[in-house]
Amino acid sequence: MTDDEHETTADPTGDEPAVSDGGTASDGGSIVDDDFPADGVPDTPHGDDHGLPPTHSIRRWFVTTNHKDIGLLYTVTALFFLIFGGLLALLMRLELWAPGADFLAAGSYNQAVSAHGLIMVFWFLSPLAFGFANYVVPLQIGAKDLAFPRLNALSYWLYLFSGILMGISFFQGSTFNGGWTMYAPLNMPVYTPDIGGTTTVLALILFVASATVGSVNFLTTMHRMRAEGMTLRRMPIFTWSILLTVWMMLFAFAALLAALMLLSSDRLIGTAYFAESSPGGAMLWAHLFWFFGHPEVYIVFFPALGAMAEIFQTFTGRRLVGRKWFIGAMLLVAIQSFVVWMHHMFLTSINLEIKTLFMATTIGISLPFDLMVFSLIYTMLKGKIRFKTPFLFGFGALVLFILGGITGVFLGAVVLDYTLRGTYWVVAHFHYVMVGGVTGLVGGLYYWFPKMTGRMYDETLGKVHFGMYFVGFNLLYFPMFLAWETPRRVFEYAPALTGWHQLSTVGAFLLGSSFLVMFYNLFKSAFVGEQVEGQPWDFASTAEWTVPSPPPLENFPGVPTYASGRLEFEDGGSAQTDGGAVHGKAAALPGSEVTETEHGGGESHASIWPFVLGAGAFLVLLGLSGLQRGYFPEGTMGGVHIGTAIVGGVLAFGSLVAMTREKFHGPEGPFGESWPFTTVENTKLGLWIFLASDVILFGAFIGAYVFSRVAHGWTDWHHLIPEAHVVLPGLINTYLLLTSSFAVVIAMEFAKRENRLGVVGSLVATVGLGVGFLINKGIEWQHLFHIHTEAFPAGWDPGTNIASTTFYVTTGLHALHVIVGLVIAGYMIFRAWGGAYMGDDEPIEYFGLYWHFVDIVWLFLFPLFYIV
Amino acid sequence: MSRTKLYTAIYVVLFVLATAQAVVEQAGYLEESYWLAFWAIMVLSAVKAVVVAGWYQHLRWEPRSLTTLMLLGLLGAVALTVAASYSIL
Ligand code: HEM
Ligand SMILES: [Cu+2]
Repeated sequence: MTDDEHETTADPTGDEPAVSDGGTASDGGSIVDDDFPADGVPDTPHGDDHGLPPTHSIRRWFVTTNHKDIGLLYTVTALFFLIFGGLLALLMRLELWAPGADFLAAGSYNQAVSAHGLIMVFWFLSPLAFGFANYVVPLQIGAKDLAFPRLNALSYWLYLFSGILMGISFFQGSTFNGGWTMYAPLNMPVYTPDIGGTTTVLALILFVASATVGSVNFLTTMHRMRAEGMTLRRMPIFTWSILLTVWMMLFAFAALLAALMLLSSDRLIGTAYFAESSPGGAMLWAHLFWFFGHPEVYIVFFPALGAMAEIFQTFTGRRLVGRKWFIGAMLLVAIQSFVVWMHHMFLTSINLEIKTLFMATTIGISLPFDLMVFSLIYTMLKGKIRFKTPFLFGFGALVLFILGGITGVFLGAVVLDYTLRGTYWVVAHFHYVMVGGVTGLVGGLYYWFPKMTGRMYDETLGKVHFGMYFVGFNLLYFPMFLAWETPRRVFEYAPALTGWHQLSTVGAFLLGSSFLVMFYNLFKSAFVGEQVEGQPWDFASTAEWTVPSPPPLENFPGVPTYASGRLEFEDGGSAQTDGGAVHGKAAALPGSEVTETEHGGGESHASIWPFVLGAGAFLVLLGLSGLQRGYFPEGTMGGVHIGTAIVGGVLAFGSLVAMTREKFHGPEGPFGESWPFTTVENTKLGLWIFLASDVILFGAFIGAYVFSRVAHGWTDWHHLIPEAHVVLPGLINTYLLLTSSFAVVIAMEFAKRENRLGVVGSLVATVGLGVGFLINKGIEWQHLFHIHTEAFPAGWDPGTNIASTTFYVTTGLHALHVIVGLVIAGYMIFRAWGGAYMGDDEPIEYFGLYWHFVDIVWLFLFPLFYIV
Repeated sequence: MSRTKLYTAIYVVLFVLATAQAVVEQAGYLEESYWLAFWAIMVLSAVKAVVVAGWYQHLRWEPRSLTTLMLLGLLGAVALTVAASYSIL
């Protein structure tokens, strides 16, 4: 693979200090000043601190928007959830010491199993990876920060608050106790009536919101803001793994969001998506969940794979063998991951043809993995290994992953799965792969620890950790293969298997205690460890190692460029001290450096609003969790719930307004490489990416309708619908929305011609027509709710049958989109009245993108729900 | 000015196509030949969607990558719907 040598990133040879010019690592503290014109910032509190309080101030962590701070927050929070989920696991293992519920109550065991799975998959594994991604990706691509720093902070706060909400659910009766896959109909209030179960679902919704905001942000950043010469082909392997991860997240999490919203509707309003009375209800859940769920397993695994590859390169002193192929294989897997989901449904009533098809795709997806595994192995063979802690964990992860992968292939075979499904074989399989992934990320934690803290961990303790971890891991999970006949999620098992389970429990405690060693080591080293320069590992070649540890807020001592094939910093210093134009390479990229200079000169990068918005959203959902069948509980509790939701709503709305009024500029780009979105400005691209996920959201809602209708019998559907449900209201609403779309287009034209009244007038028309749409819908719904016919003596409300459910919920989601649009448009009228947008039609255009999208969705809802 | 005219013409076309969908139903084609009428109605919706996306959202004048992005989303949604529905036939 000689051509791989050309695809190196920071330093092709790897063994020299990577910063060959642009300053040495250690003077990083002062070089950040380069970005501020000397006369632009006369002793303001904002120097190189971006208006942020110092790191030892608590306030700093509430207002920060810097990617490195947020990376630390993610990492630390994720480790906290590791402890939370880990303690639940230890409780389970104690229960399984002997068959029967002799330690935990049966109900508590079910809660522990469900919450353990949810917490580990959602609140620990992915966020740990995103801690690294936040910290490392901007450094690796040569960006100063993410495209939308405040949204990045928002992602974090939504994540933290979703986790707190999950924790609260334990105290509302019980948390969700139907397993992490939340299969229907167990997920319905009939079976899991506790409010805590609902709260768990809502906590997941908040988590998905966080993930979606994060995906949009990362995708915009990684596509638009790469340094000159940092083409996709040259991108470091960890960054590649994150890029593919966020692409998968964007689409997969939208499907999960749809599933969770439908479930919330069932639990809060009393609709019938997953009810036993609905044909195909249980299958609908399985499809939606696993359409998300299979990509999710790669979403949690890819970052680990990326970290492993980086670690292998650094500690073998070799470029990854077959780097190009490795990336290609990851790309292939990312795509394939969306077409294998039914291998989780081999024991449901899906037909044999589709089972066979999905068995084939499943075998197909294991092939690219073989390639990646061989690439890692050859990298080791060709290089000279140094057995540092990160490498040990990386290597351990590879071994575990191979075992997990092989046992997965067993499960992918339909006939074998008939036997293995629902047993500990599955439990063992996915722990080998998933916790194998954790192993890789723990390697990443040791690997990037010196970068994040500026200090080295204790190597001996690191090795002790690995020893205990690896032995504990295998002692815990390998016996599960041998005791595979144990039924999953159940505390009963054949007494003959007791020995294996006791071994497992011993292993669990060993594994758990190994983390105590890690926490001790990392905590102590963070304060008293040996100080490191920029590059503590020989042979590390990616850009994060070319800057001091920890890097300064601005990251780089100049404008990073890879134009020459290796990392250099364009020296903007002399040009910028006189506050004038930027010379050299940067001058070829106007718009980037100029904005930066402008914002650097005294603008604050601190914002409390992401935190407040997160808190507001948290309170709204906490309040809503009390809803059942459309009603809040009687008495004081009801009042508390409603009050909480209102307070949260006010906070959330207020912080949104505050955020739009706050002066804040993120880095904009492009900085050189923006394929394939070179001419699409950041905000616009972010909006389009968001809309793409919204396509999946609506697509899944519509898909749920189509699926349910097929399950019922497509052409018999009209028996479920009253005669009074006619075409006309839908047609009128189609006219109204089309006209309001047209009005937005006209508003844009007026803005171009700087006609203020024209802009205001057309926006008022937009809002008026939108309001008309809602009123018309309201009248229609009222009428349908209260009809009295022979078939529907008690009206046709959301819970009447699956047809009414799909009708109200799908068009309801659309109505919510309309309402959001109207709020934005109302705000814009206010701004336009004050003279905004004259000659600057961009904000109107962006609003239009959203509004036309809402229009397009209706163009499909209209025929599906009113005509056919 | 010609842009405004174009947008107005498009608006008229959209209006007419929406009406046509309702007409198909009113004229009883769904009873006569359900699936033919069904697909006719859906194709009309698709045409309208393409027109709105292409002109009102300006996708025509944007890089193809944006269109591809949206088509990827659409492809995912359609794959889910079709495969799931087929699986229970
Ligand atoms: C070689 C590649 C793989 C194949 C062929 C494979 C196959 C399968 C199959 C067929 C099942 C369903 C078993 C059943 O429920 O009866 C399954 C379950 C599972 N797999 Fe894999 N898998 C592979 C890799 C992975 C990876 C990389 C991960 C995660 C990092 C993973 C995580 C899981 C999880 C979490 C489950 C259990 C889901 C549940 O709760 O039911 N798998 N695997
Ligand atoms: Cu799977």
